[in-house]
Amino acid sequence: MALVQQSSTQSGGSGGGGGNLYDVLELILDRGLVIDAFVRVSLVGIEILKIDVRVVVASVDTYLRFAEACNRLDLEAGRKAPSQLTDLVGDMTESGAKGKSKGALTGAVEAFTESLGSKRDDSEEEEPQPRKRAARKSTSSRQSSQNRGE
Amino acid sequence: MPTYVYGITGADHPLHLEEVFGVGETPAPLRTVRTGDLTAVVSDAPEGLRAKRRDVQAHQRVLEVLMGDGATLPMRFGLLAPDDEQVASALDAESDRYRARLEELDGHVEYHLKVSREEDDLLREIVAESEQVRELRERTRNQSGGHDERVALGELISREVSARSSAEAEELSQRLAPAATRLSAGEPSSTHFLNVSFLVPEDGVESFVQAVERESDQRGDAYTFTLTGPLPPYSFV
Repeated sequence: MALVQQSSTQSGGSGGGGGNLYDVLELILDRGLVIDAFVRVSLVGIEILKIDVRVVVASVDTYLRFAEACNRLDLEAGRKAPSQLTDLVGDMTESGAKGKSKGALTGAVEAFTESLGSKRDDSEEEEPQPRKRAARKSTSSRQSSQNRGE
Repeated sequence: MPTYVYGITGADHPLHLEEVFGVGETPAPLRTVRTGDLTAVVSDAPEGLRAKRRDVQAHQRVLEVLMGDGATLPMRFGLLAPDDEQVASALDAESDRYRARLEELDGHVEYHLKVSREEDDLLREIVAESEQVRELRERTRNQSGGHDERVALGELISREVSARSSAEAEELSQRLAPAATRLSAGEPSSTHFLNVSFLVPEDGVESFVQAVERESDQRGDAYTFTLTGPLPPYSFV
């Protein structure tokens, strides 16, 4: 139901492209061929990408957050229809909005402005700020269709 | 002035570089460093280069253009050689390896897939399936129960979340693997339980995308699949 298909920066030739760089940032910065004899520019400020994940997982703060989320959970609906849990998202006050905002995009091509974590038409000087939830946002511009696009 | 390296192609690559520019505040004109069999696409490296949005995008753009015309080995962002001569020696030093890799990647593109699941959806599944979680939950709800019990509940859930997420990631990868030539798993993040790249033959792109669609359809709205591509094969060089 919720497949978002996107290119990264391709923009039908208009140069640059708004792109969805955020989702492939780690590939560009962390993979790709390296020649050992050469130096790499500093990635200071971008390494949050990684730290983010490891530190957070096994901490008391995380445990308490999970406990709280679990206690807030509305199970009523779940008990009635355990096999259809996924249909109940809309009933949850907390997740209702995000759940619906992405819509059913099967096969469609949707662009993400939030690509590099900056709020809007931010200055191109800004360094990309990885964000935890960028993949959710979804409006926007300069996107070339691929495969099934128009 | 140091030389910024974007990628490596075979000597027979058409290199349509007229309308694309490199990194820097004033986008740098591209040039090539050629050896017998290989070509490196490079530019001058601007002073004080860092991973700015503009520059990461320029790097990616150059590689997409190159990839569109033939096999290309994408460099990681930000690689600087002291000068062009050093680039040429690096190509010579690893010539066999680079040519073999180019041949292997010819006709292939990378697709990157991230999948997330709404947390509440997963938590409901855990509560439904774990009696221990249900008990602790009853004891800690409505401000009753001590701090220790909350931590215990959270820890239990945390373990369940990890176990279920990695099992599902593994299962999903296995189901999609047959539609791709190779697969390269990345680390899951706090939001995406699956983070994986696929090397897909160009003539297999359609069926690969359909396979991803099928998985996405089956799992419903609590899941978000984000498929990005075609990309230069960063994960397969």
